[in-house]
Amino acid sequence: MAASPFASRSPSLTISSPNTLRLRASTAQNASQTSVARRPQNADQELTEQLNDEVRQKYVKDKRLGEGTYAVVYLGHLKNDPSSSVAIKKIKVNAEYKDGLAMDAIREVKYLQELSHPNIIALHDVFSSKDQNLSLVLEYLPRGDLEMLIKDVNIHYGVADVKAWMGMLARGVWFCHENFVLHRDIKPNNLLIGSDGEVKLADFGLARSFADPNYNMTHQVITRWYRPLELLYGARQYSGAVDVWSMGMVFAELLIRIPFVAGNTDLDQISKICEAFGTPTEENWPGVTQLPNYIPSDRNVPLQGREFFLRQFPIAGPVGAELLMSMCALDPRKRTTALQALRHSWWTTEPKPTKKEDLPRKAGGDKKMGDDLTRRGGELDDSTFKNAARQLDFGAK
Amino acid sequence: MIEDDIYRTSSQFRLWSYTETSLQSLRANTNAAAIERVRTALRRAREAQQSTASSAVGTPITSQPGSESEGRGNEEKEIDCLTPEEELVFVRYYCEQLLELGETYKPPLPTLVRATAIQYLRRFYLSNSPMTYNPKQIMACALFVATKTENYYMSLRQFADGIPGNTTTEDVLAPEFLLMQGLRFTFDIRHPFRGLEGGAMELTAIAQGNGQPAPHMVHQTPEDLRQGLMSIAPPPVPSSSITDRIGRAHGTTREMLKSAAQMTDVYFLYTPSQIWLSAFLLADRPLTEFYLDTKLGGPLTSTTASTEDPNNNLQNPLYDLRTKVLAILNDCAALLQSYMPLSSDPAQMKNLKRIAKKLYHCQNPEKVNLAAIQKRGSQLPPSGAASSAAADSGPVTSESESDRLAKKRKLDREQKTRNADPFGPELVPDRTKGH
Repeated sequence: MAASPFASRSPSLTISSPNTLRLRASTAQNASQTSVARRPQNADQELTEQLNDEVRQKYVKDKRLGEGTYAVVYLGHLKNDPSSSVAIKKIKVNAEYKDGLAMDAIREVKYLQELSHPNIIALHDVFSSKDQNLSLVLEYLPRGDLEMLIKDVNIHYGVADVKAWMGMLARGVWFCHENFVLHRDIKPNNLLIGSDGEVKLADFGLARSFADPNYNMTHQVITRWYRPLELLYGARQYSGAVDVWSMGMVFAELLIRIPFVAGNTDLDQISKICEAFGTPTEENWPGVTQLPNYIPSDRNVPLQGREFFLRQFPIAGPVGAELLMSMCALDPRKRTTALQALRHSWWTTEPKPTKKEDLPRKAGGDKKMGDDLTRRGGELDDSTFKNAARQLDFGAK
Repeated sequence: MIEDDIYRTSSQFRLWSYTETSLQSLRANTNAAAIERVRTALRRAREAQQSTASSAVGTPITSQPGSESEGRGNEEKEIDCLTPEEELVFVRYYCEQLLELGETYKPPLPTLVRATAIQYLRRFYLSNSPMTYNPKQIMACALFVATKTENYYMSLRQFADGIPGNTTTEDVLAPEFLLMQGLRFTFDIRHPFRGLEGGAMELTAIAQGNGQPAPHMVHQTPEDLRQGLMSIAPPPVPSSSITDRIGRAHGTTREMLKSAAQMTDVYFLYTPSQIWLSAFLLADRPLTEFYLDTKLGGPLTSTTASTEDPNNNLQNPLYDLRTKVLAILNDCAALLQSYMPLSSDPAQMKNLKRIAKKLYHCQNPEKVNLAAIQKRGSQLPPSGAASSAAADSGPVTSESESDRLAKKRKLDREQKTRNADPFGPELVPDRTKGH
C-alpha cells in the first residue's frame, strides 16, 4: 500500500486498492527521502541512474525462454524471494531503426504502466541496462496461451470453459477501453494464461489511446484474421469496436477450434468476411462505400441472422450465438461495446463459467510465453494454421 | 469503478503527484545533490588541468601540497550555484521555448505533442538539475519523444530538419535514454484537454435542451437544466447567445491550458479535471458554477435550509463536497493566474539573463557532451566499472575535452567583453558543439 513514487508495482502487489486517497503526501516524501538517503553512496551517479540500478538489482535472470528479432525473454525472480517468478523481456536495440527507442517498445511500456487489471499482463518494473537496452519485468504466465489450448487436440473443453475465458477477455478489453486505450492486436496467442488459470491480455506493441475526434489513425493494425472490415477498407477513424470484432473472432475460434475467417491476403480476408457474414451495403452500413479502400462486391450475400450463428456455432447455445452475433456486426456503430458485452445475459445463462482453477491446462507454457513475448505486433505465425483457410466452407449447411 | 479510481491507478497519480511541500523538498534535494557534483566535477577538471600543466614543466604535484588545498578552498567559494527557484525559472523558459519550437514546424505540432513534451521536461527536472543537464540540450529530445508517444509520427531526420539552426539528428537523440530514465519510463500524461471538450459538449447539449442530468440527480429534466443555464449571471464579457458564451469560455480555457497550465506546477498538484475546471472558472465563473451545480447540487447551505424547515429536504447532501471542490479549484485557479510569460515581462527577462549568466559558471563540465557520454555509456563493460574507473582515473570527461571547454570558455569570455549585449541572440553560449 505504501507506494512510493519511485517504487514499482512489485510482483507481490495486487492492483491498488481504491483506498489510496492519501497517497499523495506520503509518496512524495518517500521520493525525497530516497534521494537524500542514496546520494552519498555513489556520488558520481545521477539520482535517476541510482534508482534505475536499484530496480535492476532487485531481479535475477534465470534462463532464457525465447528469442525473437525484437526481444529476448528470460525467466527470472526477485533477488530477495527465490520462490517468485517474473518474465524479463529485454528489448533489443534495433540497429536498423535509427530513430531511438522503437514505437512498439514505447507503446508497450506506455500503456502497461497505466493498466493495472487482473486480465491484463502486469508490468512490475522497467529498467535499463548498461548497454542502454530496455528491460520490462512482466508477470510470469507459465501456462501458455489460448492458441495452444485451441490447437491441442488432446485437450477437451466445453462451452463453460469458453465462457470463462471469454469473460476474462471481455473484462480486460473493457478495462482498456475504459482507460481510452485501443489494444489493436487481440488474438489467441496474445491471450496468455497465468498459473491460476487467469487469462491475461498481453502485447501492447500496437496499442494507442483513442484519437480525438477528426484525428486520423493508421488502419494497418490487428493481425489479418482478427481484423474488422472497417480497417480492411482503410478507415482512419475508428473506435473500440475494432477490438470487439477481434474478440468476436476469438470467441468463434474458441468454439470451433479453428480460425473462423482466415484470409490469405487482405483482399481474400474481405471476401471471406463478406461471404461469411454478408455483404456490406449503404443500407446495412451507412457510409461504408465512402471508406478509402472500399471495393464493391460482385456477390451480394444478405446479412446473416441469428440462425446462421446458431447453425455455425451450435455449442454456444442461442444466447451465446446472439452475443457472438452482436460482436460480429459489420457496421462498427451497430457492433456491441465491451461494456454492453459484459452486461449480456449469456454470462448468467447456464452453464455457469468454469472456475478458473478447474479450466483445462497444458504443460510447456513457459516456452510459449517466451515465443509470444518476442513476436512483433500484428505478425501472423503462418505455420500455425497453414491449412486453416481450406478447412472452412461457409457454403456448407 | 469510478473515474477517480481509474485516475489513481495512473502513473501520473502514482509517481508524479505531490503536495506543495513535498514538491519543494524534492527540488531542494535535487538542487543540493547537483551542487555537490558540480563542485566536485569542476575541481576535478581544474586538478586535471593543473596536473597536465605541472607535468608539462616536469614539476611533481606533491611539491606544492599547501597551495593545492588552498586553491581548492578558493575554487569552492568562487562557484556560485543556482538555487532551486532559479532552476525553476530557467526550466520554465525552455518550456516556453518548446511551445515556440512546436510552432515552427509546418504544419505546427499538435498542442498535445507540445504539452506532453513540456510535462516531460518538467518531470525530468524534478530529479535532474539544469546545472547537470542544460535544458537547451534536453528540450528537442523531449519534443521528439512526445511525437512518438502521442502518435504524431515523424522521422528523426524530418524532425531535426524542422529545428531552426543546425541541430543534428545526433543532438536530438543523444539524451533520449537519459530523458526516459528521468521519466521513470512512464510516458502517459493525463492532460486536461479531453475533460474540457467533454464539459463544453455537455453544456452545449444543455443549452439545446438535450442535457443529461447527473445519475444521482434524476429529478432534473433537460428543460430544468436548460432553464437553469439560461438564468445564470451574465458573463464577464457580453456574448450574443448562450452558445456563443460557452464557445468563448471554451476558447479562453483552452488557451490557458496551453500556456499557464503547462508553465506552472498545476500538473504536479492537481488532477486533470481540477485543472480544466479551474481554468474554466477564470474564463467564466457563473458558467462554471452552474456546471458544478449540475453535478454537485446548488449552494444550499445547512443554515438556509434549517431556517425554513428543520426537517426539510432542501439541504444539499453534497454541500460539503461542493465547498471542498470549490476551494481546491480556487487554489488551482490562483496558481494559473499567477503565470506571466517570461518573454512579455522585462523584469523576468532580466532575472533570466542573470540566471543564465550564473549557470554559465556552474554548469557541470562532465555532462556537457551528451552524445559522447551516450556513446561511452553503451560501450561500457557490464559491471560497476563505470564509477570505479571514474574514481581511479579522475574526470569522466577526457582531458582534451576539458581543455577544449576551458579554451572555449575563455574565448567566449573574450567575445563577451567585446560584445555590447553580453548574451547576443542566444540565451546561453552553445557549448555542445565543437569548432
